[in-house]
Amino acid sequence: MRVLSVVTMTAVCLAFAGLLGLAVWHIAGSPAPVNLPGLLAENLDASGVEHPITAVLLNFRSYDTLLEIGVLVIAGIAGISMAKTTSLEDPDLRTSDSLLYALQRWFVPLMLVLAGYLLWAGSDRPGGAFQAGAVLAASGVMMRLGGIPMDFLRPGVLLRLGLALGFTVFLLVAVASALAGEVFLAYPAGFAKPLILVIETVLTFSIAMVLLALFVSAPVNRAQEPEEGEHE
Amino acid sequence: MTLWLMAGLLFTPLAWAVLTLLVDFRKGRVVTWLGILVQVLVSLALWAAVASDGGFYYFLGGWQAPLGIELRVDGLAVTFVLLTALVAAACGWHASVYLDPGKSWHRYFWPLFWFLWAGLNVVWLGGDLFNLYVGLELISLAAVGLVALGGQAAALRAAIRYLMAALLGSLAYLLGVALIYGQFGTLSLADVTALLSDGTVAAGQTFPLVLMLFGLALKTALFPMHGWLPPAHGIAKSPVSALLSALVVKASFYIAARLWLDLGGHLGGYELAQLIGVLGGLAVIWGSWLAFRQTKLKQVVAYSSVAQIGYLFLLFPLTWGVTDAISLQAQQGITLQVISHALAKAAMFLAAGNLIMSVGSNRVDALAGVSRFLPFSLFSFGLAGVSLMGLPPTGGFAAKWLLLQASLASGQWWWLGVLLAGGLLSAAYVFRVYQASFIDNTDTDHFFHPPKSLEVIPLILALLSLGLGLVAEPVLSVMALPFEGSSR
Repeated sequence: MRVLSVVTMTAVCLAFAGLLGLAVWHIAGSPAPVNLPGLLAENLDASGVEHPITAVLLNFRSYDTLLEIGVLVIAGIAGISMAKTTSLEDPDLRTSDSLLYALQRWFVPLMLVLAGYLLWAGSDRPGGAFQAGAVLAASGVMMRLGGIPMDFLRPGVLLRLGLALGFTVFLLVAVASALAGEVFLAYPAGFAKPLILVIETVLTFSIAMVLLALFVSAPVNRAQEPEEGEHE
Repeated sequence: MTLWLMAGLLFTPLAWAVLTLLVDFRKGRVVTWLGILVQVLVSLALWAAVASDGGFYYFLGGWQAPLGIELRVDGLAVTFVLLTALVAAACGWHASVYLDPGKSWHRYFWPLFWFLWAGLNVVWLGGDLFNLYVGLELISLAAVGLVALGGQAAALRAAIRYLMAALLGSLAYLLGVALIYGQFGTLSLADVTALLSDGTVAAGQTFPLVLMLFGLALKTALFPMHGWLPPAHGIAKSPVSALLSALVVKASFYIAARLWLDLGGHLGGYELAQLIGVLGGLAVIWGSWLAFRQTKLKQVVAYSSVAQIGYLFLLFPLTWGVTDAISLQAQQGITLQVISHALAKAAMFLAAGNLIMSVGSNRVDALAGVSRFLPFSLFSFGLAGVSLMGLPPTGGFAAKWLLLQASLASGQWWWLGVLLAGGLLSAAYVFRVYQASFIDNTDTDHFFHPPKSLEVIPLILALLSLGLGLVAEPVLSVMALPFEGSSR
């Protein structure tokens, strides 16, 4: 029985891979009728940034990015909703390893500088808020694993404010242009670059908060609610 | 004016998600009432604007497709926006009374609720394949968060299972989108359709479409991929179950239907259409049968959703290779089915929540004697059941009547059996609940009386679902409005 299911699964996977390969082969043989990269290059000057990926993420398809940040905030909310203690600090996870501690004193400032660099680099080369936020969150994770007390991470209003900050600023910029009679998310002429920079900066912070909150809050779960109609 | 309405429609749910995140449950409740009022008014105004002036494209950020993202604001989309506003307002109102403000984790209900609403509007209006994916992600993650909210191991298990199914579905859809982008070089659904119809691109392969439809069918819980739905919808709090069954599963179906109607004629085939139809038919029979067999009240309602979702997939065979008139009839029937099921199922879950609250047990046989104490909620449950069975003059009847005519006119008489058996089986599981509630059990006289507002909300929804059959004509006429998309 077990052999049969393994054989079936292998057959399904092989068939899937084969069909996928065939589809890619077919696509590779015929050029796409719409030249989107060309169109992107023509409009890059109007976007306010020099790197095409940042231009797509923060200007041409900024609606997608706004909603994706929303998805991250949802993940953060779902994560901290599981934590029912007042502090997300878990004393069991603290260590007093002096070597780790010494290493961190070197690493954490370096990683903060790296995050700042990645954020700035996004305007004309690969980089940007997501990468910088990930590095920032990673330094937080390292601090926690290394036993630096992080009692500031409580599921209180400050954490929630931090989660929502990037999203809120992005949303306010989006609606400001709509109030002026433009469409949603249209940057006013000449302000694209500074606005994108502001959005990227607060996004970096909020993305880092979401990722860190998810890492920190995951195992803390005590109080529970019974199913409807069942007694506590 | 429409520019402001569109901005309001997109902005309000997202802004209220942030506002409610910052306050506790009680304040969030007041803030939400205000937000519901705004959003319902904006949705109504937009619906009225489209009903009088016709649909339009809305270019976000001022960038036209294919470079930017376009929203397709047509009669069908605004009808679903309005339906979402109605059902979400009812569920939000119900939840504000139903949920216990003393439990600290309930504060997170409101932001998730608003994100869910935002995601639904993204999907109804989306005209860009990748943007639709983002909308699906918003919906799935918010829904999973709502299922897991404050739950025990069983709720977490159901939520994780739901998350896995939803993620697999999303990834399959995304892979299909990537292949479509590779082939056509654009993500705009309208552009892809135009390229296919004027023959610039040879239709070629069905594989991307099949992948996307598979992913979406998994997210819609089409038989035999429905295993994740009953645990998730059954264990969530009743207002959440109502939102999930009434709206969330419809979002992925809506995308599948739009893809099929635009691309199915070029990339689909008779066998594919019939296969999807057969799975839908099996879902109707098997889901209804399982609903009849459940011992827990909310599981009955959840399996009934599996069955009612099955009807929706009859769209695929009834619109492939038929004349435009028959296709239109089938589309109208399915749209009415979506609307009437959304209203009826929301009413049913909310009424079930009230019944469970009053008898203090989630089992069907614990309802004995409840008919004397809670006639309103039981009445709403029954009215919603009448619409699910498809008796006149309900919306369910109008929907099934149109589907029946479309099946006969296209010579696909075999779907008649599905329509008939589904109606009879749904009568069976609704009457089973009624039978349990009418047993006069003198031993139990301890009933909790829910507040009146909790009883009124499902009644309103059930009456709307009942009355839909009477106003089907004007509702359908807005959806069939000519679309001013040619000047784009």
